[in-house]
Amino acid sequence: MNNRLLITLISAVLLGGVAIGYTVLSGSAPEQAAHSVPTGTGPRLMVLSNGKLSTVSRDDPAGSRQVTEQRCDRAYSAAGTISCLRPVGALKASELAVLDSQLKELRTVPLTGFPNRTRVSANGRMVAWTLFVDGHSYAANGFSTSTGVLDTKTGTLVESLEEFAVEGMPQRPVDTNFWGVTFTADDNRFYATMSTGGHRYLVEGDFAARKVRPLVDADNVECPSLSPDGTRIAYKAAVNGDPQQGWRISVLDLQTRKITPLAETRSVDDQPVWLDDKTVAYGIQRDDGLNDVWAVPSDGTGTPAVVVPEASSPAPIS
Amino acid sequence: MSRRRAPLAVLTTVVVTAATLTASTAAHAATTTFTPTADTYVDNAATGTNYGTSGQLGVDNSSIKRTFLRFAVSGISGAVSNAKLRIHTDDVAGAESPNGGTFRSMTNVSWSETGVTWNNQPAVDGSTLGSLGSVVRNAWYEIDVTSYVTGNGTFSIGVTSSSSDGADYDSRESGATTAPQLVVTSGTTEPPGDPVWVGAGDIADSGSGDSATAALLDNIQGTVWTTGDNVYPDGTASQFASYYEPTWGRHKARTRPSPGNHDYHTTGATGYYNYFGAQAGPSGRGYYSYDLGNWHIVSLNSNISMSAGSAQEQWLRQDLAASTKPCTAAYWHHPLFTSGSNHAPSTATRPLFQALYDANADLVLFGHNHHYERFAPQNPNGGLDTARGIRTFVAGMGGAGAYSFGTIKPNSEARNTGTRGVLKLTLHSNSFDWQFVPEAGKTYTDSGTTNCH
Repeated sequence: MNNRLLITLISAVLLGGVAIGYTVLSGSAPEQAAHSVPTGTGPRLMVLSNGKLSTVSRDDPAGSRQVTEQRCDRAYSAAGTISCLRPVGALKASELAVLDSQLKELRTVPLTGFPNRTRVSANGRMVAWTLFVDGHSYAANGFSTSTGVLDTKTGTLVESLEEFAVEGMPQRPVDTNFWGVTFTADDNRFYATMSTGGHRYLVEGDFAARKVRPLVDADNVECPSLSPDGTRIAYKAAVNGDPQQGWRISVLDLQTRKITPLAETRSVDDQPVWLDDKTVAYGIQRDDGLNDVWAVPSDGTGTPAVVVPEASSPAPIS
Repeated sequence: MSRRRAPLAVLTTVVVTAATLTASTAAHAATTTFTPTADTYVDNAATGTNYGTSGQLGVDNSSIKRTFLRFAVSGISGAVSNAKLRIHTDDVAGAESPNGGTFRSMTNVSWSETGVTWNNQPAVDGSTLGSLGSVVRNAWYEIDVTSYVTGNGTFSIGVTSSSSDGADYDSRESGATTAPQLVVTSGTTEPPGDPVWVGAGDIADSGSGDSATAALLDNIQGTVWTTGDNVYPDGTASQFASYYEPTWGRHKARTRPSPGNHDYHTTGATGYYNYFGAQAGPSGRGYYSYDLGNWHIVSLNSNISMSAGSAQEQWLRQDLAASTKPCTAAYWHHPLFTSGSNHAPSTATRPLFQALYDANADLVLFGHNHHYERFAPQNPNGGLDTARGIRTFVAGMGGAGAYSFGTIKPNSEARNTGTRGVLKLTLHSNSFDWQFVPEAGKTYTDSGTTNCH
């Protein structure tokens, strides 16, 4: 048994060594042979292909893709910083890996739970994550999450937003859960979902001040995602305020507080991603467990369409 | 890019049969055509590139291109008298070749269509099924694969070429008229009257899923198993009376249960032990065994200690050693192998799996994640093991609200969420058939056969 464990460990180390620096995640695709689908240069989308970090061309996202051997259960990327929530392995729990665009590992943070959400600020400095703990999920009667933030510039690590003060709540309730962080352009403020007493609030956070403020006039906002221009939040809204009935992907205008349900009428259980200021992307799972990345206009018009088949965790990269 | 598709009228222009077709002698033979559930190729000129969404499949030796096809064969009754792979060359210049490739079976049937690259390609490691000589563009070709596709199940075929002037075929993405086909002809032999062993886990709550699956049991005879979480939310006596008894309780007299974590929400799972009585084995212990036909069957308890040297693990090893049956199955609640996104694999169960593996067991059933998943035969560390591996199922589709999947784990061969149902196993003298039986109004199914070791 001990020998077997040792062999497994050595194999894991060797494989890890091979995987690092294996593939460059930016720039042009390698030379293509005749008959293959052209990939060309230009902007790309990073996705997970059943847990493997991959990229596709923005011009032909359903075409051939570059697949690395870097495994993540959830990933995001911005400005050359990749956050990768690595899967629970036989020998260790989950972890956050912060990688550069060459897949070089810059930092890891050990985590406990099931990877669920992750986000990087537009400047590539701030990284956030959410994990399910206790193995529960939205589908169960109750669930528990753990959400943390890392400042990659200073190294400041907040293991759980539950450490932060909550404005208007002198004593933070014990049942508080946070999930789904999205950062503003200043690399300090952020939005997230806070749940307590069966109620879900949109909160605006201040990383330096270590506090969050519930926005009581924006109810039922889960998994917020700030638009590139910083004016709107795409999110999943529980149907009739009841997550058991599923979620409608919607957009909240931060200035006017106007809410626009998007044209996707199926339930979406994902933190949306803005592909640009007019397009919101999200994953939908098929019955067989494979996911597709879909997108829909952010103004409530149009119809949903598959952007990347058999993929999840989309992130626009340059 | 737009490529011309083969018009329907020319579909039958050229058919070359690579190997002698076996004549079907069944009086009432049925023919079923399957399209691939996945197909792609890899190319050593672009070693990190995946072509899973391409409309084309390439085989070549310069650059080296290999094609992979996967089919899920289901709903076949009786013996397969003939199975042929039909594949169509692309209607573009250069699709033709002096060498259409060599077709071989593959051990790995769980590769990812949009994840396979030259770097991580599955091995083309099985026996040669056939080869094609010269192929022209826009034509159908056939390979006899009867030696490989012998019944229901999941099958992978790899295609390689020794020619530097390769061939290009149409993939499933090219559309229904040119996608590869597996044409299976089977007889109507009635299965023998071997023991039927049927069940599910994660069953009874205030919803209607338990009623739907209990109704399936009304029409399936045999012994009923459960893989835990028999009643929600807490396994109390009143919950057994309110939710389980009116549904699966109709079949209690033929049920051999196992307990789940929700049954253990009641201290000592007293609700569970009191409800099932002697059918759950010695009260309060939660592990016991019985025989059905040529099979030895063990019901285990993943809510108590399972560590090597624990009372349960020691009992299991002795129980298995005492068995004289050629085939062995076991079941418990927490899965050692699962792709579910709600509950991670329970590594604490591994000593039980190790004991079963050491005793050459054949089949293990789990619950806990509320959906269905089938894995290839694996060793206790999750490695594919076609010699001694144990085939496993997560059968948590007994009634409770459906769960999602996360990243699909290696060797996961079939999955469904959202369809409640029961898993019907027919225990033959030296093999078993599995069949996912869906609730009324749903269509998902999955079936196949695995031989005992």
